[in-house]
Amino acid sequence: MTQALQPTLTFPRAFLSKNLRAEPAQTSDNDLLKAIARSDETALGSLYDRYRVILFGLLVRILNSREEAEDVLQEVFIQVWRRASHFDESRGRAFTWLVTVARSRAIDRLRMLAARGRLAEAATRDEWESVSDADTDAFYAERSEIVRRALQEIPEEQRLTLRLAYFEGLTQSEIAAKLGTPLGTVKTRMRAGMVKLRELLGQQVRNLL
Amino acid sequence: MHALTALDPGDARLLTAHIEHCSECRSTLDQWEETVALLAFDAGGVEPSRQLRERILHATRNTPASSQAGGQTAEATNVIPMPVRRSEGFSMQSWTAIAAVFAFAAFVISLLVLWSQHNASRQELALLSMQVKDAQQQLARQRGAIEIVTTPGTQSVELEGTEVAPEAHATVAYDRSGRAVLLANNLPPTPEGKAYQLWFVVSGQLTPGKLFSPDASGHGSLEDQIPAKARGSTGFAITLEPAGGVAAPTGQIYLRSSQ
Repeated sequence: MTQALQPTLTFPRAFLSKNLRAEPAQTSDNDLLKAIARSDETALGSLYDRYRVILFGLLVRILNSREEAEDVLQEVFIQVWRRASHFDESRGRAFTWLVTVARSRAIDRLRMLAARGRLAEAATRDEWESVSDADTDAFYAERSEIVRRALQEIPEEQRLTLRLAYFEGLTQSEIAAKLGTPLGTVKTRMRAGMVKLRELLGQQVRNLL
Repeated sequence: MHALTALDPGDARLLTAHIEHCSECRSTLDQWEETVALLAFDAGGVEPSRQLRERILHATRNTPASSQAGGQTAEATNVIPMPVRRSEGFSMQSWTAIAAVFAFAAFVISLLVLWSQHNASRQELALLSMQVKDAQQQLARQRGAIEIVTTPGTQSVELEGTEVAPEAHATVAYDRSGRAVLLANNLPPTPEGKAYQLWFVVSGQLTPGKLFSPDASGHGSLEDQIPAKARGSTGFAITLEPAGGVAAPTGQIYLRSSQ
């Protein structure tokens, strides 16, 4: 357990300035969504190109299947197409909305597959990886590194509860049963983990996206 | 926890209902969701197939965008419904629910059976209680009769059947105090609303005694107290009378003493 936890992770200034600099000519997510709301297919393609890797990685991690993940990712972007005009930028970032939609649909699918007994056996990570372009690799590698370093600062038992909830869609009671841990302990760990994650990433959320 | 959708369903419903009316909590939840969404980077990026992009764009060409879907009335919101905790087909939960229904039905049926058995037992117990009570009364009468018969100085008188009941026979035993017991055999069954009545014969006059009815085998008995004025009587008769008894005989004589 980390005894001297810092309020935020300290990343080298040079690292942040080099790796988290926004592309000046890039259309904002909000503008893309407004264009999609006007039935602009090109905007939908751009939004897809921007987030396909992170969203697909998330779906594969949850569903453990490329086939199911592609199916869900298609559903997500059709939902974006249909509901872009309902997006309220005052409520949060487009990235958060996309991730939340994707995760919600993936967990629904996960439960449906589990109910049908068709949940894929755990595959090795190598089976999922495919080559992406260099810019995309760099973009996600850098951000993944920041998030993972933050998670490493969180005690292991807290990190485990966060991952079980986020990637397996388990409730607190289900996590308690899975780990053989009292429900109260799970709640405490989850809350502490969330607070620390926010402390660690709080100052950098804006820079990350 | 709600941002992680990790709350148990009951808690999640309560919180969802609350944030619909509490802008402060909704704003806090939005901030937590911003942080939680970053966990997607923990999964690492994976490149989907190149064909997926075209499939999506092709699908959207046949799907009206939100601005064109005039029928849609959804309010502007980024709120994503909680993943529905349901399953298709019969999951373990479904089987568990079905098993629970059957178990409950079996429980209810067993309760009804037990209740029915309980009622039957109660009725049987009531019947047995009545039989025991009758047996106790009969035993008490027999003890009384034995006591009378065995008391020193007790006298007995035989009664013979008349032409309407030639097979009938009875004995009346009485002690000095006037306690008398009648034991009769082979008496015809009494018609509905009728009973046999004992009479004491005093100076040619009949004094009414108690009523009785024989059992299915023709046996009948009763205890009575011979009136003081009839103590010296040695004559007895039994007639068939209305069930409530009469002050003077109205029916035929079935038994009478020979003296």
